[in-house]
Amino acid sequence: MSDVLPYERMLQECLVGELRLLNAHLPCQQKLLSDLLGEEYPHVMCNDGSSHLFKKKELGYLASLIQTDEQEALLLPMLIEIDPGQDEMAVICRGKLEQEVISKVLGMPVTVRRNRAAIYKPQLAVLRKTLKTTTQYLFSSNILTQFAKEAHPPK
Amino acid sequence: MPQQLIKVRPTKIELIRLRRRLSLAKRIQKIVKDRLSIMTVEFMNLAREAVEAKRKLLTDFSEAYKALSIAAGYHGYIALEKELIASERKLEIVTGSRSVAGARIPSFELRQPERPMPEYDLADTSSWVDRATQLFRECLEASVELAEVQRGLELLGREISRTKRIVNALEYVTIPRLQGTIKYLNMKFEERDREEKSRLKRVKVLLEQR
Repeated sequence: MSDVLPYERMLQECLVGELRLLNAHLPCQQKLLSDLLGEEYPHVMCNDGSSHLFKKKELGYLASLIQTDEQEALLLPMLIEIDPGQDEMAVICRGKLEQEVISKVLGMPVTVRRNRAAIYKPQLAVLRKTLKTTTQYLFSSNILTQFAKEAHPPK
Repeated sequence: MPQQLIKVRPTKIELIRLRRRLSLAKRIQKIVKDRLSIMTVEFMNLAREAVEAKRKLLTDFSEAYKALSIAAGYHGYIALEKELIASERKLEIVTGSRSVAGARIPSFELRQPERPMPEYDLADTSSWVDRATQLFRECLEASVELAEVQRGLELLGREISRTKRIVNALEYVTIPRLQGTIKYLNMKFEERDREEKSRLKRVKVLLEQR
């Protein structure tokens, strides 16, 4: 047996950093498409203090997909939830508007269950290619709460 | 290569702790692997975009230079240069960043008016110059797009290799080491049980002999 504790400690610190990184880029708040269209430099602030810039072209494309009154209901960036270990991802949909936008972008109908529209990796690639800055990854909170429970079990 | 074991006291508490650490390590491995797969998907997307952007840039530049040479042939180099020197314009590029599963990559956007008025004298120039200007404007857009994609590729590639190292460390070092230590402790406990049993048997035999 050899003393591998320093290595283990270093690796654990590294992993803690990884977990911190996961959702650090999430926006503090989502903004309405209509508001973003009016801004000169459309952006949102992230949890880690950085800013996330939206491309005007993408906003224009999204605006062309929906009616003018619907632009006041679409919140951006849209969040793509990832549950580790599962093949499918989910786009968080608050209403029918998000569902409509996603199905128009993908060119196929999407079903929404429990406010989540399930998509698979090939569709994810298409969605991210078209909506690079208006979508954002979100690592499911389930896994993080489970992780916290296991890391600090109740005494 | 002999497997290294973690130096722990052979107690049940340590075994429980190790088991907890193993399940934690497996869970983290899942998360990091998922992050890696997402970054790989994004990297492939970016690589495809880079190829397209490069092809577009080359086509745009070749067309633009053709148009410029026609315009130069029509007006003459000196006259064309005189017109174009006065038409310099500042470029407005909006820069920002976006995050792809924790990796920050830059985002550039060239801001141009939708129908820009040319700064040169329209009365003294022909439509050849207009065409060349229009094509070079497209070249600028393509260059900015390519710059964004290439820088993104570089940064994402670096992040992927870093994450891959973590996944490998977990898969080939940490998890096997934890599993090995748990196995070693289990064997030790079984050995202890067997020793205990044989000791009891021996005691029983001695008591019967009395």
